[in-house]
Amino acid sequence: MEYAIEISGLTKKFGDFVAVDNLDLRVRVGEIFGFLGPNGAGKTTTIRMMCGLMRQSKGTIRIYGYSIPEERSELIKITGYMAQRFSLYEDLSVYENMEFFGKLYGLNGENLHSRIRELLEFLDLKDVKDRLAGRLSGGMKQRLALGVALIHRPKLLVLDEPTAGVDPPIRRAFWEYLRGLNKEGTTILVTTHYMDEAENCDRIGLMNRGRLVAEGTPKELKRRVFGGDLVQVVLEGHIQGGVIKDFLNVKDLKYVDGETVLRIILKDASKELPSMLRRLDSMGLKVQSAEPINVTLEEVFIELVTKFEAAV
Amino acid sequence: MRITAVVVKELIQLKRDPRSLVMIAMIPLIVMLLFGVGYGGGMGKISIAVVNLDKGSLSWTVIDSIMKTPSVYVKAYANSIEEGRELVKDGTVSATVVIPEGFTQELMRGTSTQVLVIVDESITTISSTIRNAMLAVTYKFQQELVRSVQGSSVELIYSSVYGPKVTNLEAFTPLVIGIVLQLVPTSLISIAICKEKERGTFEQLIMSPISRYDIIFGKLLAFFIATIADMLITLMVAVWIFDVSVRGPLIDAMVVSTLFLLGSLGLGMLISVLSKNQLQANQAAIFIFIPALLFSGAFMPIDMLSPSARILANLTPMYYFVSAFREIMIKGFGLWQITWQVFALSVYMALMMVTAPLVLRLRVD
Repeated sequence: MEYAIEISGLTKKFGDFVAVDNLDLRVRVGEIFGFLGPNGAGKTTTIRMMCGLMRQSKGTIRIYGYSIPEERSELIKITGYMAQRFSLYEDLSVYENMEFFGKLYGLNGENLHSRIRELLEFLDLKDVKDRLAGRLSGGMKQRLALGVALIHRPKLLVLDEPTAGVDPPIRRAFWEYLRGLNKEGTTILVTTHYMDEAENCDRIGLMNRGRLVAEGTPKELKRRVFGGDLVQVVLEGHIQGGVIKDFLNVKDLKYVDGETVLRIILKDASKELPSMLRRLDSMGLKVQSAEPINVTLEEVFIELVTKFEAAV
Repeated sequence: MRITAVVVKELIQLKRDPRSLVMIAMIPLIVMLLFGVGYGGGMGKISIAVVNLDKGSLSWTVIDSIMKTPSVYVKAYANSIEEGRELVKDGTVSATVVIPEGFTQELMRGTSTQVLVIVDESITTISSTIRNAMLAVTYKFQQELVRSVQGSSVELIYSSVYGPKVTNLEAFTPLVIGIVLQLVPTSLISIAICKEKERGTFEQLIMSPISRYDIIFGKLLAFFIATIADMLITLMVAVWIFDVSVRGPLIDAMVVSTLFLLGSLGLGMLISVLSKNQLQANQAAIFIFIPALLFSGAFMPIDMLSPSARILANLTPMYYFVSAFREIMIKGFGLWQITWQVFALSVYMALMMVTAPLVLRLRVD
């Protein structure tokens, strides 16, 4: 099966308010898909409908071929879920929480206990296993929630803002866990509003006002905004722009310390960069350096949303 | 088994919640002790019933004067002598005062008339208190009467009945046990579901392969295990500390109590499923408790109520419990002699058990 998640025409209305508006989305098996967007964009509502926690007003949802909400009980067996808000029992210990959910998934005896030990080890929670969940730090709570979501070795992990309100180093560590899981074949759908985190995703869906504004790999999205990759080329001496602009898409040009700094847009930098350099060379221009510029997703997002708002 | 997982989890949580523990253990003790101290030791008023067959106004002067007597209080009004006698016989009241037909007429005519007092003679201190009280009432009444009408007099005649020898404490025991078995389990469990919704744990819970029956019956079972203590505490305090005698089989009293306890838990669960938050659930539990208390039949026999109130009383589970428990405790009946109450309580319990899981939705919207 190629797609883990197939959503089409998904709509949710709360009275007159359209929270999710005719959403189409596909997530491939084995990828990390990032769901980006500001608060209130409709990410949580979409996720809740996907998990059958909320009924959709319209549209179809298929998770690993199971249609939701009709086949929700099948979905639950293969899905690990982490809600936006910490939603485990604060008056149960770390171990008791895992044990309870493990039993609900039908694990018991040595199977259950070895799985819990494994997860405590993996998530570095061994030392606090007898601590009440309510007394854990934010980072530990988040790891415990991930542990509970993983207890039954799900094929699909659905994480709603797992890193909200957690310090950057802990966020980074959390992504290490996710990448590790993904390497083992777990498909991950994660929502976030931290743009830097989204760089970790294989593909990204940008959501705004209940609609999917853009979708693609981080690279694709960046290219789409500027029409290609941004590359910075530094040439010796003051070069007139006219010569180069004939065959290159120059975004801007400036002179610094007797050098010419160009920002040019290439359709695909990795393929076109060598031939471009040869061309410049053949024109007798001395290239000091040439390197792709890292555009942040934040810039992309702002650009896209602005365009979208203007269009609406 | 999933349901065992829920039971274990709930019991651990209960164990760690001091407020619930206090509620389970202390409320029955406090209620029982307060009430035992208040009604124990022969203190308190003696309950009597009044049958007023007179159509004039002088009978009300007599009743008024009875009401003002400190040692007795009018618990019920019966419509006939037979009804009045029944009330004494089954221990509902200690005496019935019958004011005859034409009471006012005859007194105004200047002749004498007789007031019948049906007294329970099984406890001599009580019967003599009643005699003294009635003497005082008629004496005072005559003195006032002499001023307006010459020659008339009121004579007291007594009819002895041997009731079940019910002390005041015993008369109230079924009600107190009923109060504990409704109030504690219902309010305790009424937050069971909405607390999970409020804290967000419900969302995680229903993302696991749990059914609504696992959730509801797992919680019910856990709270049943916890609140069985309430039934035992109240019964033990009554029997051992206050020396209340259960004349029927103790096991039957426990069966009836268990039925009612399960019904109360089911009711609380239903409240929890329907409530939006814990505050709402608590208020609903108390709100339902008040009419249950009023229509329990413990303050006033149901037969004495107006027809519409009687219908309400017949729909009140507490009424069936108090009545069933009374019959076992005081009349020494067994379950087979109170099948109607047992049936009603079973229907109530079953209804409560079935409704809650049907109403629960495994969604978050």
